[in-house]
Amino acid sequence: MHQVNVGEDMREHNRRIAAENREMLRSRGIASLNIMSAPGAGKTSLLVRTLPRLRDRCRVAVVEGDLQTSRDADRVAETGVEVHQITTGEVCHLDAAMFHSALHRIDLDELDLLLVENVGNLVCPAEFDLGVDRRVMLLSVTEGDDKPRKYPLMFMQSSLLLLNKIDLLPHVDFDVERASREAREINPDIEIMGLSCRTGEGLDAWLAWLDRFIESSGGA
Amino acid sequence: MHEMSLVGNMLESVDRAVRKEGGGRVEVVHCRIGALSGVSIDALGFAFDVLSRGTVAEGGRLECERVELRTICRKCGEEYAPDDVLLVCPSCGSRVEILAGREMEVDYILMEDGRGERTS
Repeated sequence: MHQVNVGEDMREHNRRIAAENREMLRSRGIASLNIMSAPGAGKTSLLVRTLPRLRDRCRVAVVEGDLQTSRDADRVAETGVEVHQITTGEVCHLDAAMFHSALHRIDLDELDLLLVENVGNLVCPAEFDLGVDRRVMLLSVTEGDDKPRKYPLMFMQSSLLLLNKIDLLPHVDFDVERASREAREINPDIEIMGLSCRTGEGLDAWLAWLDRFIESSGGA
Repeated sequence: MHEMSLVGNMLESVDRAVRKEGGGRVEVVHCRIGALSGVSIDALGFAFDVLSRGTVAEGGRLECERVELRTICRKCGEEYAPDDVLLVCPSCGSRVEILAGREMEVDYILMEDGRGERTS
């Protein structure tokens, strides 16, 4: 037997396409976010709540990643915002190549902000860079405050952690202080905000964050 | 189950390496998988068995070497091998840099000796 050195990263292919995507978006001054969470944490509800208020501020479009149905995309489309669906089938995350083909279907010259709703999953989406500016993570208080330690990669890569469903805090054993502390032990720079897509509490702060983000990305 | 797509990429790397060698049978594919990579080594093995059929790696064995998490604090220069994923420096509290633990690398392959070169 003889040894042949390879030394190649299994993510290299994804990285190359992600770099192309990043260039496509940056060269046009489009701000972009990858929104990730477990299934049922409220990604679609967040979009449905956010989009009507964003439409006056900037030109926005959504890319929806879903395993099977177009239910999420349909809910988003009801807001009147342009939405592009990616059906991943058996695949539990979006990758740069899927996102790349979606980018080719969007009129990028007419856009300030692109929001990507990833497939609901706390593991796989973290490993696949799409080529967007920032990642935002949603953790609903019904999921438990032990998640940062259990899914560190997700928390490590996110710029913002939104604690959703805070209207349910009196009914669940979710320790906001513990979850925040443990998230910061993994990512000292992560920003943390609480909100409720049901009651609307905290949405103003999230929209203010988006405004700052769009401005810093050279968008609208 | 993103191991499937990772193994797809792994097999492309293996195929390229074998072509460069002018063909031959692969006996071992040796990979380095970081503790913080989010990859399940069992799932990787399963995906390898399924996807290697009909490729140059068919019948070969997948070996995965786990790489532990290692970090360094740029402020105080201290190196750590934390059991848990702690990315703040235990002494000064600033963010640490990851030195190792995120690998998903096809390190080398072992090939059956064919015509020509015999290096071991």
